[in-house]
Amino acid sequence: MPSLKQLAAGRSRMDFILLGAMLALVILGALCIMSAVNSISWTNPVVRTHFVALPIGLLAFFIGKSFNYQIYDEQWKALYVFILLLLVGVLLFGSYQRGSRSWFVLPFFSMQPSEICRVATILMSAAFLDRRGRRIRDVTSVFYLCILLLPIFGLIMLQPDFSSVVVTLPSIIILLYCTGINVFYLWLIALLAGVAGFFTVSWTYIYLHPELLEYPLVRIFNELAHNGWYIAGFAAIIILLGYLAWWLFRQFRIYLPSFYFVLATLVVLAGLFGGMFVDHQMKPHQRKRVEAFLAPRSDPQGAGYNILQAQIAMGAGGIMGKGLFSGTQSRLGFVPERHTDFILAVVGEELGLWGTLCVLGLYFIILWRIIAVAYASGDRYGYLVCAGIFGMFFTYMLINYGMLIGIVPVAGIPLPFISYGGSNLVASLWALGVVQSVYGRRLRA
Amino acid sequence: MSVTKVLFNMRLKTMMVLAAIAGVVIALRLIDIQILRHNAYLQMAERNRTQVLYQTAPRGRVFTSDGIEVASNAPAFSLYYLGGKQDSAYLTRLATDFAPSLRVSQEELEHALQVGAASGKTVLLAENLSTKSTVALQELQYYYPGIYLIEETKRHYPYGIFASHLLGYLGNMDEREWRKRNNKLGYRLTSKIGKNGIEKKYEQELKGKDGGVFLEVDYRGRVKSIIEDKKWAAGSDVYLTLDFAVQQAAEEGLKNSLTGRGAAVAIDPRTGAVLALASAPAYDPNIFVPYIDEEQPASKKISEYNLALQGIYPPASTFKVITAAAALESGLIDPARKVTCTGKYNSGPRIFKCWGTHGPVDFLEGMSHSCDVYFYSVASQIGAAAIERVQRMFMFGRPTGIDLPGEKAGNLYGPTRRARNKTYWFIGDTLNLSIGQGELLVTPIKLAQFAAALASRGNIYRPYYVEKIVSNQTGSVRQIGHTEILQHADLKPETYDMLFKALKYTVDNGTARRAKLKGFDVYGKTGTAQNPHGEDHGWFMAFAARPGEEPAIAVAVFVEFGQSGSAAAGPIAHDMLKAYFDNPHRVLAPKTQDDYNELLAGEENA
Repeated sequence: MPSLKQLAAGRSRMDFILLGAMLALVILGALCIMSAVNSISWTNPVVRTHFVALPIGLLAFFIGKSFNYQIYDEQWKALYVFILLLLVGVLLFGSYQRGSRSWFVLPFFSMQPSEICRVATILMSAAFLDRRGRRIRDVTSVFYLCILLLPIFGLIMLQPDFSSVVVTLPSIIILLYCTGINVFYLWLIALLAGVAGFFTVSWTYIYLHPELLEYPLVRIFNELAHNGWYIAGFAAIIILLGYLAWWLFRQFRIYLPSFYFVLATLVVLAGLFGGMFVDHQMKPHQRKRVEAFLAPRSDPQGAGYNILQAQIAMGAGGIMGKGLFSGTQSRLGFVPERHTDFILAVVGEELGLWGTLCVLGLYFIILWRIIAVAYASGDRYGYLVCAGIFGMFFTYMLINYGMLIGIVPVAGIPLPFISYGGSNLVASLWALGVVQSVYGRRLRA
Repeated sequence: MSVTKVLFNMRLKTMMVLAAIAGVVIALRLIDIQILRHNAYLQMAERNRTQVLYQTAPRGRVFTSDGIEVASNAPAFSLYYLGGKQDSAYLTRLATDFAPSLRVSQEELEHALQVGAASGKTVLLAENLSTKSTVALQELQYYYPGIYLIEETKRHYPYGIFASHLLGYLGNMDEREWRKRNNKLGYRLTSKIGKNGIEKKYEQELKGKDGGVFLEVDYRGRVKSIIEDKKWAAGSDVYLTLDFAVQQAAEEGLKNSLTGRGAAVAIDPRTGAVLALASAPAYDPNIFVPYIDEEQPASKKISEYNLALQGIYPPASTFKVITAAAALESGLIDPARKVTCTGKYNSGPRIFKCWGTHGPVDFLEGMSHSCDVYFYSVASQIGAAAIERVQRMFMFGRPTGIDLPGEKAGNLYGPTRRARNKTYWFIGDTLNLSIGQGELLVTPIKLAQFAAALASRGNIYRPYYVEKIVSNQTGSVRQIGHTEILQHADLKPETYDMLFKALKYTVDNGTARRAKLKGFDVYGKTGTAQNPHGEDHGWFMAFAARPGEEPAIAVAVFVEFGQSGSAAAGPIAHDMLKAYFDNPHRVLAPKTQDDYNELLAGEENA
């Protein structure tokens, strides 16, 4: 395998490997969507919308590619305001569909602004970090970035659109990692997420199994979600533990800055409150999803049904698959959301292992090329942008495949280029256009 | 290269390695799902999309020897729910609309539907629906996807109680039977199986191969296409030796008798084939397979007690034939010698009474008037051991060996038996024995076997009632019943001649006059069993022949609490004999189903 350096060499303005992988995915995606809805007719709304979104997406790609990516760096404040306006706008004027207010319904088409915001947020965050200059690896950068992103995530949660958060947050973390930040802070963030997730999942589990409340410890734990006294007590114990740890390290003559312990304690507490917040925000159907992830076969007709049917579809495909338009699981509707979140199940059933591995491989090529572009980029901003976009696609791939193979809870996240979804397609193509722009300008920047 | 650049490159490489690891893990799991577990998942996918509607094959029919179909099949409809993911509001609506026509409560129906929706499997909502209600259901099925109505057949017994103890009835399998039969293909939990009689005994042959419609359905259970329509194969037909007319005469007679309780058995003395085996009270086996949307039988409790095989009673005067045979065989008795009947017989310690006062009677008159005093005198001359010997010759105290469950053996009575039990034998026992009272007990079928043995001059047959089984698929015939002589009662020919003469005399001039049939030779003997617990039981034993021919039918009739043998049982025997010789069906008497069809076709053309 040639080194990244060799691959980035040359004078081409366009990374044709990346372009090829992208187009291959788009074509495969179009075929699979038609197969999933079992129609090649223009009259089918899904097929029609997809083929309208495709040229728009390609246009977005060329816009992304043609514009100098440094514009986003220059105009990052405008970008930030643009994101906020879009998100506020959708809350005011958006249409309420399937439990969330996340769509602009226009006369000829609808769009989902959070998809565009996802890419814009990455571009904006990269710009912000780039502008921190030498202090990019300071903990303050993380702190300020968090403050900057808080209103965005807050607005998204108001819709609410969990899947957007689920994809954007890991992208930002990967972006932060690539800034070269001290890994300790990332561990702290992971700890924060871990603590919050632990509390949320545990409370959800107790919520779904009320019989567990008979045990006193479980009851006390459950009370942590609501009762102020318990929370205060728990916080006191955590602070005490943090102090104890610091003191212990000192006794063993290991001198670590006390700052670390304070931070760790705060993070655990923040995790508790974050967990409480998520717990209060969660809707019953989302709790069901967590449940289905914890025990997918406990309720095969309920929440676990979806993932089971998707796995049946994939498994039934075997190596060669049943052929396009021939999968019984998808054609007869056993696979839910088969043209959006579970499109991979259709790929698996109809194109078999070759299909799923092919999509995986193409994704891997895209990820690899984005890394290569990041490596070759002419400036730090280009590098950061590529890192963020890499993070986004990596997260998409991980969650979508992970969901299907049962290592990630069902999150309702589409697979870019393959899944049906105009806004997602346009945003994803735009993101790859920006990557191409970074590549094209590597020598001039 | 700056420090920053080196750091950046390191982080990029780390990310790439992470992505590679993730990719490998995903690929391995994909291989696991799509290659290693492929077959299991493929099966699950097939199960998802296919639903099978089983169609119960028509059971084999049952014919009498004169070609009457006594167990057939009637059209019945079954209503299926194909399962599939449906919301509960839909199911509730469905239950509300369908419950009235299915005669089930809405809650029950809704529960069944929910089970189907949860398991994704076909649920049989109702079976045995009559044609009447299917019109409404046909219409409803178009409004509700997932509901499917198919035509099946159900068991039908056109003549109701006809030979019900022999035919048996159908019922649902209990759990033990289900497990036993489950490994044999073709049984489903809802399959009906024979519970008694022929239905149980020849279950394997009667049950055909069920068919099934394999449907492709979508996730809501809507039918998309038919994958395969497998036709059922009907079960094999069973041909009985029963004579429809004789059996019907016997059942009619018993039903109209004094108490409506009793049994009548007719055997062909040339072969041992059972011509009639009636037992009252009987039951209508149709009540076990009712149309569920019609009036339900009030009670499904039936009497499975088969009196013909399981009822044991003293044979009373019919036993005098044995005493007579023993007397004739011993050579100690001159048939012409007269004994004067004064209505009493003094045995010494006790006085035994006769049922009348007959004056001087010889052998023929003693038999024809059934004079007790005559037989007391004969018995005291020849001794009880001689009578017991003839009993053993005719296999009294042993079951007839007919292939039916629960047959009682009865009880042989005599000094030897008494000695074995280490008690004493008194002269009074001899006298009681001579007129068939006391501890002597027989079943009606035993007496019929005895009558047949007399008629055939000593051949004791094992009675059989199934002639053959004819496969509807291959047309192959399996012979089931065959003549089997258990024992030959080796009496002297002169003894038989004398007995025949006496029995004919009894019918022509004596107590058995009721059985007289013009133009035929009828031989018979009545019996009235004294019953200390209530009214006396009536017995009648007879056999008959066309003049100059061998006897062709032997019957034994028993009417419980019938008061008198000649009055209660006699007419039934008479009707049976008459039915046998006048049987209009026997004229057709097709031997095979093809002959029968040909005959029917011929009639239609005419």
